[in-house]
Amino acid sequence: MNYKIIIYGLACLMLSVTSCTKMTEEPYGLTNTGSFYKTAADAESAIIYAYSVLPEVGYYSRGYYIITELPTENLTQKGDAGPANFELDENRTTSNNSDLDNIWTYMYRGVARANAVINNVPGISSMPEAARNQVVGEGHFLRALHYFNFVRMFGEVPLRTETIADVSQIPMAKSPLKDIYDLIIADLKKAESMIGTNRISEGRANKVAAQALLAKVYLHMASSKASGSAGYNFVDNADALYAEAKNYATKVTSEQSTYAFSDKLRDIWDIEVYKKAAVSEHIFDAAVDRTGEVEGNFSKLPNMFLPADRPMSIPYDVADPSKGLINIGQGWGHFRTESAVYNNYAANDKRKTELIVSTYTNGATTYTLDINTSSRPFTRKFIDPLRVGDKHSTNSPVIRYSDILLILAEASGPTTEGYAAVNKVRARAGLGNLNPTLSLQAFRDAVVDERALELAFEGDRLFDLRRTNTMEKVLVQKYGKSITSGAYFFPIPQRELDTNPLMKP
Amino acid sequence: MKRTFYKACLCMFLSIFLAGSLYAQQRILKGTVNDETGAPLPGVGVTVKGENTGTSTDPKGTFSIALSAGQKTLVFTFIGMQTKELSISTNQTTIEVTLSDDQQNLDEVLVVGYGTVKKSDLTGAVSTLKGSDLNRTPASSVDQLLQGKLPGVQVINSGGQPGAGATIRIRGASSLNGSKDPLMVVDGFPWGDAGNLKQINPEDIESIEVLKDASSAAIYGSRGANGVIIITTKKGKAGQSRINFSSLNTLSTRANEPDLWRDPVEEAIYANEAAANGGAIATDIPYIGMTRPFGVGDQTIYYPSIAELRGLDPSKGSWQHNTDWVDLVYRNPISQSYTLSADGGTENTKYALSGNYYKEEGIAIKNDYDKYTGRLNIEQNLNKAITAGTNVVLAHTNNTGGGLGVGRSRIFPAYDENGNFFRTSSTDYGNPLAIANRVLNKNKTIDVLGTLFINAKLTDWLQFRTQLSSKYGNSVQDQYDPRDVTFRGFENKGYGSISNSNYTDLLNENYLTANKDFGTAHRLNFVAGYSIQKTVNRYSTLIGREFVNDNLENENLETAVTKSLNNSLSRFDLSSFYGRLNYALMDKYLFTLTARADGSTKFGANNKWAYFPSGGVAWKMNEEQFIKSLNVFSELKLRASYGITGNQGISPYQTMDRFGSYKYFTGAAFQTGFGPGLAGANDEQGRTVVGGLGNNSLKWETTQSLDAGIDFGFMDQRLTINAGVYLKKTNDLLRLKTIAPSAGYDQQWINDGSVNNKGIELGINAIVLDRTQLNWTVGGTFTLNRNEVVSMGESDRVEVGTLYESVRQRISTYTVGMPMFSYYGYKSSGIIQTLEEGIEAGLTGTEALPGEIKYLDISGPDGVPDGIVDANDRTMIGNPNPDFVYSFNTSLKYQRFDLTAQLYGVYGNDVWDFNKITPSRQILRWTPDNPSNEFPRANATRGLKASDFFITDGSFLRIQNVTLGYNLKPNLVKGISNIRVYFSGNNLYTFTKFNPGFDAEVGENGINTGGYPRPRAYTFGLNVGF
Repeated sequence: MNYKIIIYGLACLMLSVTSCTKMTEEPYGLTNTGSFYKTAADAESAIIYAYSVLPEVGYYSRGYYIITELPTENLTQKGDAGPANFELDENRTTSNNSDLDNIWTYMYRGVARANAVINNVPGISSMPEAARNQVVGEGHFLRALHYFNFVRMFGEVPLRTETIADVSQIPMAKSPLKDIYDLIIADLKKAESMIGTNRISEGRANKVAAQALLAKVYLHMASSKASGSAGYNFVDNADALYAEAKNYATKVTSEQSTYAFSDKLRDIWDIEVYKKAAVSEHIFDAAVDRTGEVEGNFSKLPNMFLPADRPMSIPYDVADPSKGLINIGQGWGHFRTESAVYNNYAANDKRKTELIVSTYTNGATTYTLDINTSSRPFTRKFIDPLRVGDKHSTNSPVIRYSDILLILAEASGPTTEGYAAVNKVRARAGLGNLNPTLSLQAFRDAVVDERALELAFEGDRLFDLRRTNTMEKVLVQKYGKSITSGAYFFPIPQRELDTNPLMKP
Repeated sequence: MKRTFYKACLCMFLSIFLAGSLYAQQRILKGTVNDETGAPLPGVGVTVKGENTGTSTDPKGTFSIALSAGQKTLVFTFIGMQTKELSISTNQTTIEVTLSDDQQNLDEVLVVGYGTVKKSDLTGAVSTLKGSDLNRTPASSVDQLLQGKLPGVQVINSGGQPGAGATIRIRGASSLNGSKDPLMVVDGFPWGDAGNLKQINPEDIESIEVLKDASSAAIYGSRGANGVIIITTKKGKAGQSRINFSSLNTLSTRANEPDLWRDPVEEAIYANEAAANGGAIATDIPYIGMTRPFGVGDQTIYYPSIAELRGLDPSKGSWQHNTDWVDLVYRNPISQSYTLSADGGTENTKYALSGNYYKEEGIAIKNDYDKYTGRLNIEQNLNKAITAGTNVVLAHTNNTGGGLGVGRSRIFPAYDENGNFFRTSSTDYGNPLAIANRVLNKNKTIDVLGTLFINAKLTDWLQFRTQLSSKYGNSVQDQYDPRDVTFRGFENKGYGSISNSNYTDLLNENYLTANKDFGTAHRLNFVAGYSIQKTVNRYSTLIGREFVNDNLENENLETAVTKSLNNSLSRFDLSSFYGRLNYALMDKYLFTLTARADGSTKFGANNKWAYFPSGGVAWKMNEEQFIKSLNVFSELKLRASYGITGNQGISPYQTMDRFGSYKYFTGAAFQTGFGPGLAGANDEQGRTVVGGLGNNSLKWETTQSLDAGIDFGFMDQRLTINAGVYLKKTNDLLRLKTIAPSAGYDQQWINDGSVNNKGIELGINAIVLDRTQLNWTVGGTFTLNRNEVVSMGESDRVEVGTLYESVRQRISTYTVGMPMFSYYGYKSSGIIQTLEEGIEAGLTGTEALPGEIKYLDISGPDGVPDGIVDANDRTMIGNPNPDFVYSFNTSLKYQRFDLTAQLYGVYGNDVWDFNKITPSRQILRWTPDNPSNEFPRANATRGLKASDFFITDGSFLRIQNVTLGYNLKPNLVKGISNIRVYFSGNNLYTFTKFNPGFDAEVGENGINTGGYPRPRAYTFGLNVGF
């Protein structure tokens, strides 16, 4: 009898064993390529994921401003900031700079997400073509935006257009600037043709955004070539590209009604206005909201600018005290406004008087901020009076209408429309018209100077200096900063060099 | 020659003596036999030496025996106890005998996983400890009590938080990213990682075996690489029925008095000086007699001036506040443990059951832990061949509160004039009384563990056992942070959460055991089996942010403005085949072969099955005639083993491609996106780390170990020495490989890299005196391990652990060629005395000023000093791994008294002391008048660098435990067979040069950030046996 037990036991054992030897794994709560990209809702979700990288900490909610503003005469950083900030501020970046590593990483995450949309969504046959084109077009827009940032920051980089499924795809060499620009322009033209004109919501690109970005891309190429900026020899004809820039800028300023010039400076930066108005200056923003759960859903960027001393109250409208005070709290005082940009504004420039906070109150006491101490006047472009703790709803503007107006001016040169565009921006700031008899070069220089004041702290200045080949002329000769390395292209992060075998210098 | 003479004398003496007593009467001797705790021992064999008469003790431990006339010698034998011989004088009629646990007994049977083996037949490195040898001091988990008990086993108790577990390392840490914890097996059921065995009452433990080498641990295959701890609980024995009650009542005190400001004036002077040196403008110097805004509303806070604090400001009265935070926040906690247990049985039915209530108060107010555990074990013989049984364990725990800081300023009160918790500003979240009283933090757990088994004797040499085990656990954590008490509460306008987790584990084991002797020369023991285990862990968290007010705490999360939830589940199956062959040749030459094959769903598709073979040999030299003839050794055994064990260390689903998700705001609401790149936890800078790229080849870590040992026993095992040496090489380390960020991923799990551990361990036990009334034993352990990271693929150094905001870097590293957790940072050399000295050292800005720490320029971009102190000057500056760990144990028994003591020491480890500049040292700071070269000046805005300034020698020797016990005379009270009382002191004193404000024993990484203070505990214990 006992032997029967053994035999039965062993038989049962063998049965249960054979059923388990494969040990296949069934994941729980996880999505992957095999189960996704099947429906219209999946496509929508895929493009949302591609957008969602923009306001992350390493990208537009902090990193972008650290990288683009510290090297210029706009911002410096607090004394105990990390060494990477100092390297950027003092233009002596190395491949070990952690801030550059950060933005490199986030931008390539953006590329991977955009590629996932571009490569997978066209295969979703169950959705209407228009809707599919909208999503794929937005994917092209985002990929172009990331590569335009790459090419302006780092120059030649690996041009990834495939979705990575296996480590064997990882080694990839740098592409020449020309190839990168070809992809950017092709992507934006696809975006222009695929995306609708309708503005879906804040934080999403429509056709106008694609056109606006194209104008920016063409202007960058044209002026880089014209000024002899390093790396842009591949451009054949600067004037042809100025014409393209003008062409696309004009489409934005004259052929659409989803965005428009704001007459009041305050309104451009009032969250309640620019987020809710049917038409605003903000052509494309990285969108955030204070109800988000993590930084990246909300923004902490205002804390970077606001001094840390004490909670502050400022007038809602400097020009109209009857509108009362807003409590803007206190920040970390991480960024410090440099005296160069502060002093460049004319005393009556509203962009200084209305958009830079120089005094505040706390209780009954009024405090005046001194541009030469640690707590300095700061921009009020990024302020959320309804902040919840450290959570702010301040979007990070990527392209705004005034930028395109100034592109139109610069691309047009000292023509009637060129003067009209730049003077429109100056008039809003309470300034008179530009000298009407400027030479082409002097006019373009004046527009770039205007951009410096109009777009200060928005991440444009570094690229303007690079494309006009004036990093040394302006930063070193005019403002006494130093440049040791990374003037026109930042060094590629060491982590990439170490892990991508085809990137070895 | 001499010996022969003595023998002759002795013979002569005995002859005369015996002749004289021939005429004496026959008599009856009555007696009782107890164990060391005074509990009666039934079934003890009592024989008269040299005669063929004997009896055994009854269930009350008593016996009576008829002795013929004359002086006799009685022999008391009991399995697991030292055999005792006592001479009975001619007219003696009663006797009381205490038998001691026998650790030296070579016939002792050890539990080794899927079976047992006689201690003398071991070929591997196995340490064993009786449950009764654990220190009697409150411990929420038995892991804590293993410290210093076993050679080769390092136990780190990094604080005194109630309910905290311990870190256990067997023969060093051999994984970088996988688990470093040994496998815990309780009564044949692998429970998982050791470290917090809260479910088992230490008093229920019969024995603990630790499998250290590969030959022993290979039977647990892919979970054996970190060693295995086997806990065996008490079972009933036939012929006895015991009921036992025991209690521990403990009063604790602070072992280290916090190093804090004693005088508000000193504190204010320091704060002012620090602010001034830090570059604050005049009005921002704190203590200058100024009213400052509170932050919201019109409320203000007055900061006194120093003159006012001194009482020297004629315009002000004397300052009213001098808050003693230690007095308000700390207490002398009282802890209790009560156990009621019963065990016994007949030949056919054996039972053991017990219940325990345990309550531990923390040193911090409002921090409590209580626990209820119960256990039932029954074994029934169904017929002559088949036995069935069950073992059930229940455990409930409740944990509230947490650690609290006491370093807050004395200058301000604890409460404001309205009785509310005082705050210095609307963003002051530091009042510990507010945190203790207003922050909700509760954790409840329930565990239910059960095993059913059937054991069938198929033949007299072959058995089959099948076992079904199940483990279920649930925990619920309630948290609420009010808006004005913590930053998280403020940031969210109230933050409430409920976190649920539960796990289930189902195990089926089936194995055959064969025991057969072939003639007298060959003994064979064979085990072979199959098991399958299914584990599911499930989590969910409900979070509410922004509440109308704080009244309901987390009781109605639906009313929150923002609600969020998380849930996840991970499951994995393990199938295994295993076998072990023990073969003894002529009882001298021992061979063990062990193998296990593990298949796991967690492994990559290309590597689903893992194989772990091992073998051991031993030579019992004491059985050889040429050793016997030396007459020196009662035991002399050489052991050697080699084998392969594994570490699963990998989480489920890591081999597959996994998408991430993130939200994006699109005007009206957030939308959710999915796509490639799975973001892991944010690092401290808020940057996410992205994985999610699958790896079909991912597998276990493999440890090859070579072990050799020698066991000496002298004078019939009165002196034993066990020495071992080992070499462990772990390959295929699970590692997050950094991949090119341009791929959109940061890292991917791969198997690559290796770590070595080698060491020696030594255990010594000696019975110095062994008399009827007096017994004295001493023992000691010595553990030495050398750990080295050998390779990590493309990287030579990986920074690990917390990124410390104060120094803006991680300080622990895995560095090739160095032990794990070695520190990386700057070198320093005292304090800068002049600006010139600072500049010359390569420092700039405020860092070069006199009074600052002098960091050294030791390198540069080209590997040579470049005159600038920057990140290039960082190097390896310390090692938190001790040179060795040691302990002494001694036990002295005199009549009914016993006294035991244990000392535990760690030598030669570095501690990174983030609390180095305590107030008593701030007083010694550098000032122009006091050019200290030891402690820097006061500076509130100093950007500290991670440097060897913080590194302190962490060696210590602690008087861990001293226990004085007394066993009352048995059967003194009717119905009560024994009463034992004892008084035990734990953590009595520590010899160390470490920062006196803190305990020197910090975590495995050796970083002191001021963890939960470890109390000094005084315990009164009572055992009553019925």
